[in-house]
Amino acid sequence: MPISLSDTLHNKTGTWRTFRPIHKNKLPPCNKKCPTGENIQKYIYLLLNKKYEEAYREIKKDNPIPSITGRVCPHPCESKCNRGEFDEPIAIHHIERFLGDYGLELKDNWEIEEKKEKIAIIGSGPAGLACAYHLRKKGYKIKIFEAENEIGGMLRIGIPDYRLPKDILDKEIKKLQEMGIEIETGVRINHPLDLAGNYDAIFVGTGAHISRKMGIPGEELDGVISGLEFLKKLNLGEKVKIGKKVAVIGGGNTAIDAARCALRLGAEVKILYRRSRNEMPAIESEVEEAEKEGIKIEFLTTPVKIIGKNQKVSTLECIRMELGEPDESGRRRPIPIKGSEFTLDFDTVILAIGEKVDLKLFENIETTSWGVKTDQYTRTTHEKVFAGGDCVTGPSTVVEALGAGKRASIAIDCFLKGEPLPVIKDKKPVTIENINLDYFERKKRKEPEKIEFNRRVNSFDEIWLRFDEKDLLEEAERCFSCGVCNRCDNCWVFCPDLSIIRNEEYSVNYDYCKGCGICARECPRYVITMEEER
Amino acid sequence: MKIFNLPEKENMRPGHLACQGCGAALAMRYTLKALGEKTIVTIPACCWSVIDGPFPYSSLKVPLFHCAFETAAASAAGIRAGLDIKGLEDINVLAWAGDGGTFDIGIQALSGAAERNENIIYVCYDNEAYMNTGIQRSSATPYGAWTTTTPVKHYKNRPKKDIVAIMAAHRIPYVATASVGYPDDLIRKVEKAKNIKGTKFIHIYAPCPTGWKCKPDDTIKISRLAVETAVFPLYEIENGYKYILNIKPEVKKPVTEYLKMQGRFRHLTEKEIEMIQKEVDFQWKRLLEKCNQN
Repeated sequence: MPISLSDTLHNKTGTWRTFRPIHKNKLPPCNKKCPTGENIQKYIYLLLNKKYEEAYREIKKDNPIPSITGRVCPHPCESKCNRGEFDEPIAIHHIERFLGDYGLELKDNWEIEEKKEKIAIIGSGPAGLACAYHLRKKGYKIKIFEAENEIGGMLRIGIPDYRLPKDILDKEIKKLQEMGIEIETGVRINHPLDLAGNYDAIFVGTGAHISRKMGIPGEELDGVISGLEFLKKLNLGEKVKIGKKVAVIGGGNTAIDAARCALRLGAEVKILYRRSRNEMPAIESEVEEAEKEGIKIEFLTTPVKIIGKNQKVSTLECIRMELGEPDESGRRRPIPIKGSEFTLDFDTVILAIGEKVDLKLFENIETTSWGVKTDQYTRTTHEKVFAGGDCVTGPSTVVEALGAGKRASIAIDCFLKGEPLPVIKDKKPVTIENINLDYFERKKRKEPEKIEFNRRVNSFDEIWLRFDEKDLLEEAERCFSCGVCNRCDNCWVFCPDLSIIRNEEYSVNYDYCKGCGICARECPRYVITMEEER
Repeated sequence: MKIFNLPEKENMRPGHLACQGCGAALAMRYTLKALGEKTIVTIPACCWSVIDGPFPYSSLKVPLFHCAFETAAASAAGIRAGLDIKGLEDINVLAWAGDGGTFDIGIQALSGAAERNENIIYVCYDNEAYMNTGIQRSSATPYGAWTTTTPVKHYKNRPKKDIVAIMAAHRIPYVATASVGYPDDLIRKVEKAKNIKGTKFIHIYAPCPTGWKCKPDDTIKISRLAVETAVFPLYEIENGYKYILNIKPEVKKPVTEYLKMQGRFRHLTEKEIEMIQKEVDFQWKRLLEKCNQN
């Protein structure tokens, strides 16, 4: 009887192939959307493998203050999460907070190779801190000048305790100081170029601190206060006088923060906003929370006159608005409705209609109508001066400022080394259509608990509790890991030609792969692409 | 983050001659993972007598016996008897035949072996036609399908033979359906069969991109749809009477999703698809009743 004693390994069936599968990780939409470029997919993957410390260090590569952004960031990443089109987005910022808090207890052992160049940073807000952090990692000597007596800029004076407890801020700042970042408080720099003699480069992150005036009669009355001033006093522990019936004018984050603080001080609070809910610039979830806490919002309403009694606020004369054509900001312009005037009684009026940048600081440096003029690398018209954060963009978010600080650090590093700037590539992120949804079941998003309602509205205690570890892991498990291999093995499982090699990374044995494409099709997360053979 | 947990060890090699995206190649890979290296395979004429490789080469790491078309079950029973005489009772004997060698040409030998309750595992990997010889109709070809012997004008107008019911009627200890789209379920069933004495019959759904006129990367997707539309449900029958349903789709998908992915059904009109849907619904209802499910 004839017997076959040889195998088929000599038969290189790879020659049949017209398309070849290639394992190539792609860009998850969350990572693309994060202004400071966090590798969100990666830290969720590390977290899932219970490598909490590694996950924390992964965030720290891009974000110097994760326990803070984990609390206050409006998480644009979640808005682009592909899971959101399937059921609900991953609770990324609660995960970030968990890891940030985890990291606060860890020691960062930096091995910094010292460089001789010195860099001055004006402002210790998020932009300045981020720029300082990334440059310090590269070995530069950093000195931050802060005009206030305390460190943190808007993080300290603008954000109330129930969103960001001060001890968290202090711990993050301490971590940065431990890297060797020097911070001097109570020094106001009049012009960045005053420092040009002693420093090799200057970064300006002074923020936007001038409260806009409404320009209506009665703004000088006792009982009228700007939103930012109110928050600042409260946050620095100063005494703030506030009445029983408080009107907050504006629809931005300062307005919402001020309203929720006033509520916690025992007042009855009403927000007046001249446009409708859709146009509100404040973080949506914050608005919802404010309403849940009992704050009323009068939309399409604006005050025209503050009426006083004995030099004290007593009544607000308001007018109703309607929305017209979109203005230059893209939002529909509010137009007063003639004859719709009415009055409301208040004893305190908090004006929070926006903040401006103090442009006096930038003489001889080009500015725009809202801030300093820079390119996307934060370079101003003076080669030694870089700027980022609210002083460039006008009032924006912490994470935008962190991103600007990071970009500035790259630009300054290149400037000092005399190297060309890296090209910013616009890569296409993975979309929901790329995901093989057959491999996922619909599952509700998990979030941590909040403190009890009564305690919440009667104190400045932090609202959100930390993620329960079991819930945290369940939530992380929902992540699609868009475009990034997480070793699910599917390509190996479904290969009819036994041609998937699983080493540190997966690859294809092209000697035998016939190019059927099953691996690419059954990859749940679009890691494998089929490319035509040439 | 594994989705399927398969045994690591491969008892098959690449370099085999299956077409791109072959379901039968995957079926063998999974089955041998479950049975392990202490296995002897007997294969009648079918795709796998080619896939294995030409003489003197074999892509399997276990002994393989090429037998005549009608003798898969008989040769397996003979190998079993020989092993038993030598006291090698721990070696699995696997009869591995296509739908032609099972539903049509090998059914007499299979029925005989099952009636004697021979201690073998018989796997029919079903690609629903004589694919190896050029896509001719078999009694496993489903209603409505095109093959080279049932051209579009005279597409197959008889339903697929219910081989599982035939085998269950032999009252053998274990009959099951399985699919290459559900490798963990398939492996579990083969492992279960391995530990049962007597005749075990496993009917594995194995798409054939070449014969079904679908894209080679559709193999797994189509396998999944076959289960989700209840065209090919996954269930087990113990001792000829105890029905166990393994996967019950949350929402049963319409058969057209399954049919439209395959060129062999392209000619079907809406009315004909509706008829197929009715038949699938009827058979599904009957199966649920047998499994005591509603």
